[in-house]
Amino acid sequence: MNENENNFESLRRLLALKRHETPPPGYFENFSAEVRARIRAGDAGRMESFSEHLPWLVRLMSAFEAKPAFAGAFAGALCLLLVFGIVFAERPDVAPQPLLQTAQASSPLAMAAPANLNSMPAEQPALIPISSTNPVFNTQSPDSLFASQGAAVQPVNFTLPGN
Amino acid sequence: MIMAEPVPSSEPEPSAPVEEDELVRGARRGDLAAYDELVKRYQQRIYATIYHMTSNHEDANDLAQEAFIKAFQALKSFKGGSSFYTWLYRIAVNKTINFLKQRKNRTHMSLNDIDFNAEHDPDMMALISEQTPRRAAGLTELQEKLNEALLKLSEHHRLVVVLHDVQGLSHEEIAKVMECNVGTVRSRLFYARQQMQGFLADYLKPT
Repeated sequence: MNENENNFESLRRLLALKRHETPPPGYFENFSAEVRARIRAGDAGRMESFSEHLPWLVRLMSAFEAKPAFAGAFAGALCLLLVFGIVFAERPDVAPQPLLQTAQASSPLAMAAPANLNSMPAEQPALIPISSTNPVFNTQSPDSLFASQGAAVQPVNFTLPGN
Repeated sequence: MIMAEPVPSSEPEPSAPVEEDELVRGARRGDLAAYDELVKRYQQRIYATIYHMTSNHEDANDLAQEAFIKAFQALKSFKGGSSFYTWLYRIAVNKTINFLKQRKNRTHMSLNDIDFNAEHDPDMMALISEQTPRRAAGLTELQEKLNEALLKLSEHHRLVVVLHDVQGLSHEEIAKVMECNVGTVRSRLFYARQQMQGFLADYLKPT
C-alpha cells in the first residue's frame, strides 16, 4: 500500500488545492442564522405538525435517510407483497354458482318466475325482478331460458334400477 | 482561510464528546441555541464536503442548510449508536448523492475563489505549469481541471476521494459514514485515484 501511496503523492498534492477553495467572505457568519430561521419558519413547523399526526412515518423517513439499505429492504418487501397480491388475485376463491340459484335464494318473486316463463311470450322478458342483489339481465328476449346466461344445458340421465 | 483542514485523528475532537452530548440532548428537547452551536461546529466541514462533491457553491449552500434542518428534525431518531458527527455526515452525504443522481448530466460548476494562501503553498507552486505566464491563471486552470476530473468519477468514488484526500478523514471514519467496510473504502480510493491520474496526466509531474 505504501508504494501505491507514493504513486499518488503528486495527485494528493494537486487535490490539496481543493482545500484552498473558499466561499465568499463572511459566508459562515450567517450560515447558522439562516439554518435557524429556516427551522423556525415553515420547514420545521410543517414537519412538526406532520410528526404530531404521523410520528411513525417521520421515524420511518428518518430511518430511510440514515440507512439507505433499510429503504431498499422496505421497497423489496413492498414489491414482494405486490407480487403475492397479483398471484392470489388471479386465483378464483369462490366457485361460480348457477345464476338461477342465486335469484331463487335472494328473491321469492324470482322463485316463482321460472314456472311462469314457460307460458310467457318471448316479447315480455321483464317479469323477473331485478334487485340490487341480482345481476342485471339482458333485456333482449332470449331464444331459450339458458341461452342468454351462457349456461351449458346438461341432460339428466336417470338410470332406473332394473333397466 | 483554509477550508476543512485534514482531521489527523480518527475522532473529531478529543475534548468534544461530553459537551457535544449535552448540546445534542438540548437540541433534542428543541433548544435551538444548543443546535445553533452544533451547526457552528460542523458547518464548515459539512459545507466543504458537499461543495467538493457538487463543485457548485449555490447547490452546496442549499444542500448544507437542508442537511442541518433534516438532522434537527430527525434528532429524535438519533440513538447515539455513532457519534453525532458521523450521523450528521451520513445525512449530508446521502442528501448530496441523491441530489447528484437526480441532476445527472446537468452538471454546472460554480467554483469558489482560491484563497490567498494557495499562491504561497509550496506544493501549489510546484504544481503550476512552467508554461503558464501568470501564477493566478495557472491556479485557476488547475482548479477547473481538477473539478472537472472529480465530476467524472462516480458519486461513491468521488466521495471517498473528497473525504480522504481533501477532508482528511481516515479509512475507518469513511467506512462509518458510508456504512461499508474499510476494505471497500480502500479499493474505491485506489480505483478513484487511478482514474484521477488518468484524467489529470498532463498536470501531474512524475514523482
